Amino acid sequence: MSVFQHEYRPYEGPTTPLWKRPVVLARYGLAEAWGSKITIGLAVLALLPCLVELVLMYLADNPLAKMLVVGNSKVLEINERFFFNLLEVQSWFALVLAAWIAPRLVSFDLGDNAMPILLSHPISRFGYVLGKFIALVLSLSYVTWIPLLLLFVYQCYASPVPWAVGHLGVAFGLFTGALVWIVVLSLVCLAVSSWVKWRVVATGAIFAVVFVPAGVGGMVSAILRTRWGFLLNVPVVMSELWMRLLGVPPFGNPMFWFPNIAIVSVLVVTSLLCVAVLNARIRAREVVRG
Amino acid sequence: MTDLIRTVQQQPWSLWWIQFRRFARIEIRRNLITKRAWWIYFLAFVPAVIIFIHLIVDRHQPSSMTEDTNILAGIVQLYYVRLGVFFGCLGIFSRLIRGEMIERSLHYYLLSPVRREVILLAKFFAGSVSAVVLFGVALTFDFVLMYIGYGGAGQDFMLHGAGPGQFEAYLLIMVLACLGYGSLFLMLSLMFRNPMPGALLLWGWEAINPVMPSLLQKFSVASYLRHLMPVSVPAEGIFALLTVETEPVAAWVAVIGLLALIAVVLIYCCIRMRRLEIRYTTD
Amino acid sequence: MSAAIETIRFENVSKFYGEVLGVNRITLTLSPGITTLVGPNGSGKTTLMNLMTGLVQPSRGKISVLGLEPSNATEFFCNVGYCAQFDSFPRGLTGFQFVLDSLMLFGMSEEDAHALAVEALERVQLDAAAAHRNIAGYSKGMRQKIRLAQAIAHHPRVLVLDEPLNGLDPMARAESLALFQELGRQGMHVVISSHILDEVDRVSDRVVLITGGYLIAQGNIHEVRQEVRDKPMQLLIRCDKPDLLASKMFAVNHCVEARLHADGAGIFLRTGDVDQFYKILNEIAIEGAVKIEAVAPFDDNANAIYQYLIGSDGSAV
Repeated sequence: MSVFQHEYRPYEGPTTPLWKRPVVLARYGLAEAWGSKITIGLAVLALLPCLVELVLMYLADNPLAKMLVVGNSKVLEINERFFFNLLEVQSWFALVLAAWIAPRLVSFDLGDNAMPILLSHPISRFGYVLGKFIALVLSLSYVTWIPLLLLFVYQCYASPVPWAVGHLGVAFGLFTGALVWIVVLSLVCLAVSSWVKWRVVATGAIFAVVFVPAGVGGMVSAILRTRWGFLLNVPVVMSELWMRLLGVPPFGNPMFWFPNIAIVSVLVVTSLLCVAVLNARIRAREVVRG
Repeated sequence: MTDLIRTVQQQPWSLWWIQFRRFARIEIRRNLITKRAWWIYFLAFVPAVIIFIHLIVDRHQPSSMTEDTNILAGIVQLYYVRLGVFFGCLGIFSRLIRGEMIERSLHYYLLSPVRREVILLAKFFAGSVSAVVLFGVALTFDFVLMYIGYGGAGQDFMLHGAGPGQFEAYLLIMVLACLGYGSLFLMLSLMFRNPMPGALLLWGWEAINPVMPSLLQKFSVASYLRHLMPVSVPAEGIFALLTVETEPVAAWVAVIGLLALIAVVLIYCCIRMRRLEIRYTTD
Repeated sequence: MSAAIETIRFENVSKFYGEVLGVNRITLTLSPGITTLVGPNGSGKTTLMNLMTGLVQPSRGKISVLGLEPSNATEFFCNVGYCAQFDSFPRGLTGFQFVLDSLMLFGMSEEDAHALAVEALERVQLDAAAAHRNIAGYSKGMRQKIRLAQAIAHHPRVLVLDEPLNGLDPMARAESLALFQELGRQGMHVVISSHILDEVDRVSDRVVLITGGYLIAQGNIHEVRQEVRDKPMQLLIRCDKPDLLASKMFAVNHCVEARLHADGAGIFLRTGDVDQFYKILNEIAIEGAVKIEAVAPFDDNANAIYQYLIGSDGSAV
């Protein structure tokens, strides 16, 4: 019998439970994402609008301060529209942050042909994607629904009780609207990163994937004289969804007022497409391109 | 001065010209004739596909020709210049140097007996030819498909009316946009390991440029192109920012201004290229 | 013809990557023939080669190759071929296209480029069918061969090879070494870095030992070994009575170790004074008590010198 058979003992200690394994990847993903100074810079920048809004809320809720600074102007009315505007601003920051972070999570593994090594560990393809997805959603939560809900809580605290009671739906709208956006955005960004493979190109490609269809949609609407082309404009579709979730009265271009089913369909189809791309790309194989 | 002229004359210009042509040929083969460029074809030809559908399904009333002219102007100014050419050139020109560094194949060119300036200019030329051919052909399709549905009136417009002038202007805009954005993306890819944040800042800069002071407007590709538009695009809301003509400038001034900007950028790129080191491990 | 235009010269060359040292104060002159760069991983061998070919620029000092500088690319790269260790190629090319494209950049006619490409592929023994396949499908050994073909195709006078034997099977390795030897004999400068010391040892005319970015030793292997005086030299003596020879040798105090050869017909002796050793060995031979058939130094090879000067852990001793 060889020495190898005499002395070698396979590992027999405890192993991470199956359900926890994606969390390990998520933890490493978060470390990778937040290890960049640019990520930190973007995250800090993303909180600036919230700080400005916080000051505005303070002014709005403090009659003396409001009188001194803006007089009786209606600019400082804290309502659904106020939170809607803030959600729009934060969602743009989320896009920038996602375009920076997502390629760091996936492209390194694909670019260095590390996928076969990673997937040779006891983790499934689904687990891999889920881990990266959790890391991205958590990172984006930091600039979207978390600060927005904190601002909402502050407003409830600082304003008279009837305001809070009358606007509880806003909190639900903020959370749901932001969550829908960051889930769709995360899927899009992970899919593009896995498709493009190069981190450097992936960031640009994510912006292209959001804005080029918007431009194409605009062309479709203009050339074919139809409003349905605008459904390709994801930012417009999301704005419509947020308006409804927050209970904001319709405003802006009436051509964008799509039925709920159309909005949901666009988001579902986009997500399914992304899942299909991830399914095709996240595989334990080395792609040799000629 | 005589020494300088003699030195210039003594340079192996004919060899450099041969190397330039051969390098450009290799690059064009790799840029243009490849499956990987499918998304650039998509960016270039998607308007043509939509217009083709319009040609098939819509009835072309003579009264809607002016509207279509405005739509075509909008496609050039809002889609091609801001999205199609921008992202297409970002892909083509970033790949020329940075892409080769990512693929770890740039050293083969730097080890060839070709001056680095010749390598850079040949690469730029190849990228420009690829972009101009793609977007130029796409624009030609757009133009023809847009008016051919109007029968005789459309043909008359394309051949004898305002059509030829507009088409030439659009083609000039397309060429200058490719050269302008191309040179800037080439520069960004030489300056940064990841040129994308810079490119996206440039995108934002191009959008807000019209509200900038007059001097700062000179440092924008789109601001020069805006002065060359043969048809002003009626836009509202945030799109007005992209189409508004700020300070009126003669077309030739805009062309020469943009060409000067491109020349300055390319000279800087040549200087960067001379100092370029191959350190793939840090990329 | 001045010496400068026949040699590769490093004059007090240093290269820093930010705060990381690449190489430091290297002064070196390499004449035609085969030179092997020896050193542990990260010692600065590749940096030295990249400096030589202009892929990186020195932070200090000056480099000239046959009197030329890399900034004069047109003339420089007509004379220099570099087979770098980066295992990557421009996409979408066949092996033949890759070599042909690089030759076309020399400005030669297409016919000449074609002929040279065919010749280079034959020299590295890459068969024609493989040469017309896409490089992406090549094995590691084939990729190594095609890189070598590209480096030698234009008949350079200086050939720089970074780990050229990596990935080659024993047959291909022997063929490559024979090719390097032939090129060296023809008067070409061949600069090789390799970890396979036993094999390059047989072909190299001189070694350059570097570690931690510093030049440790350079010159002919035997000369370098001679200069390492603090390490006793080991010799193999083939004789009929090795035990008697050992006892006689131990009578003198500079002989520090003796070990019988496995076949019993020879002995390994380790001595601190080679000159005295040979003198005594001559005397023993004249006495006739031991019949000596052959004497050969056993540790004046690159491997032993590497062990002595750099240490098995890669740190200079």
